[in-house]
Amino acid sequence: MEQVLFRHNRPGRCVTISEYRAGGGFLPLEKALREMSPDQVQQRVIDSGLRGRGGAGFPTGKKWSFVPRDLPGPRWLICNCDEMEPGTYKDRVLLEANPYLLVEGMILACYALGVEHSFIFIRRGYETAATNLARAIAEARGAGLLGENILASGFSCDIDVHLSAGRYICGEETALMNALEGRRANPRAKPPFPAIKGLWGGATVVNNVESLANIPFIIAEGADRFRSLARIPEASGMKLFCVSGHVRSPGCHELPLGIPLSEIIDDACGGMREGSSFKACLPGGASTPYFTPEHLSVPMDFDAVARAGSRLGTGGVVVFDQNTCMVRATLNLVRFYARESCGWCTPCREGLPYVVRLLEEIEAGRGSLEQVALLQEHVRLLNHAFCALAPGAMGPVDGLLRHFEEEVVEHVIRGRCPFN
Amino acid sequence: MPKLIIDDIAVEAAEGVSVLEAAKSVGITIPHFCWHPALGRAGACRVCAVKLLDGPVKGIQMSCMLPAQEGMVVSTTDPEAVALRRQVIEWLMINHPHDCPVCDEGGECQLQDFTIACGHGTRRFVGPKRTHVNQELGPYISHEMNRCIQCYRCVRFYQEYAGGSDFGVMGSAGKVYYGRFESGQLESPFSGNLVDICPTGVFTDKTARFRARYWDYDMAPSVCPGCSVGCNITPVARYRELLKIVARRNDMVNGWFICDRGRFAPKGVNAPSRPRTSLVDGVKTGREEAMDALLRRLGEVAELYGEGSIAVVGSTRLSQEGATLLPLLAESISAGALSYGLSAAESRASSGAISMLTLENGASIADVENADCIAIYESDLREEGPMLLLAVRQAWRRGAPVLLVGENSPLEQVRGVGIEAVQLHYMEEAPLAIFERPVVIAGMRHGDPRVMAVLDRSGARVACLFPGPNGHGAALLCAEHGGIPLEEALAKGKVKGLVAVEADIPAELLAGVPFVASLDWRETAAVQAASVVIPTAAWVECDGTYVNFEGRAQRFSRVMKPGLPIKELDPACHPPRIHQGDPPGGDILPSWQVMIEMIRLAGEKVPDGPFSGSWANLTSLDPEGEGEVIRGRCRRDS
Repeated sequence: MEQVLFRHNRPGRCVTISEYRAGGGFLPLEKALREMSPDQVQQRVIDSGLRGRGGAGFPTGKKWSFVPRDLPGPRWLICNCDEMEPGTYKDRVLLEANPYLLVEGMILACYALGVEHSFIFIRRGYETAATNLARAIAEARGAGLLGENILASGFSCDIDVHLSAGRYICGEETALMNALEGRRANPRAKPPFPAIKGLWGGATVVNNVESLANIPFIIAEGADRFRSLARIPEASGMKLFCVSGHVRSPGCHELPLGIPLSEIIDDACGGMREGSSFKACLPGGASTPYFTPEHLSVPMDFDAVARAGSRLGTGGVVVFDQNTCMVRATLNLVRFYARESCGWCTPCREGLPYVVRLLEEIEAGRGSLEQVALLQEHVRLLNHAFCALAPGAMGPVDGLLRHFEEEVVEHVIRGRCPFN
Repeated sequence: MPKLIIDDIAVEAAEGVSVLEAAKSVGITIPHFCWHPALGRAGACRVCAVKLLDGPVKGIQMSCMLPAQEGMVVSTTDPEAVALRRQVIEWLMINHPHDCPVCDEGGECQLQDFTIACGHGTRRFVGPKRTHVNQELGPYISHEMNRCIQCYRCVRFYQEYAGGSDFGVMGSAGKVYYGRFESGQLESPFSGNLVDICPTGVFTDKTARFRARYWDYDMAPSVCPGCSVGCNITPVARYRELLKIVARRNDMVNGWFICDRGRFAPKGVNAPSRPRTSLVDGVKTGREEAMDALLRRLGEVAELYGEGSIAVVGSTRLSQEGATLLPLLAESISAGALSYGLSAAESRASSGAISMLTLENGASIADVENADCIAIYESDLREEGPMLLLAVRQAWRRGAPVLLVGENSPLEQVRGVGIEAVQLHYMEEAPLAIFERPVVIAGMRHGDPRVMAVLDRSGARVACLFPGPNGHGAALLCAEHGGIPLEEALAKGKVKGLVAVEADIPAELLAGVPFVASLDWRETAAVQAASVVIPTAAWVECDGTYVNFEGRAQRFSRVMKPGLPIKELDPACHPPRIHQGDPPGGDILPSWQVMIEMIRLAGEKVPDGPFSGSWANLTSLDPEGEGEVIRGRCRRDS
């Protein structure tokens, strides 16, 4: 299978810059600087159909196009590497194997956007990835691929690595900008949108690691080639799926978008563990509603997964077997979100602990049907939070009530967890 | 001006206002916590939800975050919006301790009001309540974090609006904590506003703790006597004791806030030692007798020492009513000297200021806030007008440079509000001409009168910080009636009889005066030296007028009856056995009425009221209005 992001990977270690260049690395950058205008780079990314890999799936090129070309003042690019969604570790795997792809992708993005200074906002725990990036940036600078007058093209840009202080909310793009400015990581009100007024008041684009790492391939091979990588026509490109849970060999795999869920589990991960059968999974990280056996044939792409009632999210697939209590699994997830709320708005700060308590009561066998109804109400009401954290946190609760209501009610009726 | 419909009412909203404000303009109060008129929107509490039925936006929206737009159809009563607001209150009440019976905010609590308004009544949450450890924030403000609903108003005021750095928000998720890094007195000179701005009882006024409920308060619209800024306040009293002071909104003067000095300092009204009864040679007597004695002895002084041996001295804290009558009193007792208690330096600076100020070139606080450059000339605003410092900060936040001119403009003053400033030696160095809306704030204590008199030529609007709450009014009258500086009135040794009306005269100046009479409510040096003392009503005990620094005459109203506070009464007097008009110790008149009585006793024609002639327009001032600007009447070229 053709690999885009993992093509330069070496088993068990990080690729070196000479290996990366020998494999064609930084040629797309040379090509773009020599032959393409910033608008052409942006147009090619728009044409490629690349959608943001950080969770929301917003078209990357379209996001770039929101930055007005004639806006005065400095503009910024931020790479969001604050990968903290439970069940998601694709950016870490990518950066531990090959940081150059991101560096090249960022330089290309800076060129397209007219950015002179960009940042990589990286999760505190990703020390190896941060070290790799620092080395890659230094090497690129030494090779004249980064800094002043890149490859004698007249274009200059630089990249700084910023180690996050470490909260889940820092992955929210406006909270990330606050954190980068040294403020509390609370999300900002929109509008104004970051493309108009973001970091330090300047126009700002925030892209995920994986999104940016796809750019060199798109520039080198063209938009059509990128689109054709996907398994289904409406999708485009490859996706890193990081699988965990009760499968035989969990891991991160680069697979075409639109691949059926069953193929990811059975072919890429060797199927379910001995004695396990598939009960449910989170298709795209901890904030997505569950998939059940009826969804195993769903093509794993943004729109197809949305039509099936969930979200592709980050592509972090967490698989649960028949012995998993879905109430307890959901409780575990919502506890994480309740803890990671920034505390800015009431629905998130107070509503999530409320939901945790409801799930705790149900799991402990003290629940009532009124509480199940209250849980249902919270799925709806938490949509009115300030940012997407609380609605996301309710994803698994939503899935729980849609697909496993019987199991929830069984907790209430038997007065105990049926899995105990 | 977008037109929209809110609850079937057609509203024409001002440009740029939110749906919440548009609703407010037609009398619809949408519950809100984090939104505050002075701090703007935050979108944090989510209680101001409304439903948009039609127009450019649809569905549930937060009305504070949503600009009012043409064609919107808004419902505040839609069941979906009502349900969300009720749920938000339920969330907020999960951890609220429901300790209203022992909370000072009870009865004046926004959380109480909106909890009732939103219809949340039954607790469905079964878990325990989160609790916090409180901090000791100094002698003025008590801290009760368990009551907190995390609206972020306090920190937005303290850090963003007032520039404080020692108080903030810590923690995250359900453990958000508003406080200092460790216990200690709040450093901001505006910390008391936390009490007003907190929608519930996290921050309450420690000085009035557990003293009274809102419905028991004696209160009235009033004006702060602390300095010449003239901030609008509501003093709160009960049982003839001043309990606390809260800010009162006046957008032309102080906006929503006041300084800590104005809030916590003026409790002298309650001093047990303040004069409450008339005294002649230390013996308690009736007011009439005291006035008789006063006039008789003044007659003796005049007989003994001849013309010009009597002086009448007022002050800049004397209300404009009293100050206006002072010349008439002086005339009726044939006083040779009239003084408004200003020192020689203050007199020069004041007369320089009033001869320079016009209606056009004077600066209000709003002018300071909207300035694009501010020069603080020879003044420490922490002393001369703290609220101007807050106004300077708002201008600075919008990009206005701040210049500190002269050696008496210390840098520390602006550090207290978290702003940076440039220090200059002379006014001439300030490049005011290159700005569009420059303002000079000039101090009277150290300002060079020659510079003050020509500040208008800088092209800037000018704010002159007169001494005392009525310094501007006193200066105008002083110029009108030929008043002389205090030292000049007393130092020559010629004065043998002195009538001090609410005047703060240093003891050494009183030493050579054989007969001193004092009309005052404070226990001043003059009261101590006086043979005849006639008590007057304090500012909270009478109506009156102060003319503030910009020349804005503002009326204050009586908050409480004069008289001994109940807690100082002999137990035998409480409860009163005989009901009478005046409470014990309550036979006290405002100073201007005492003066009218004296003029009458002296056999002169008595004016109808304090204001007549060119001052008559002050008679009809509305205590709840914006006041009336009267500066410029002594302009040198008018």
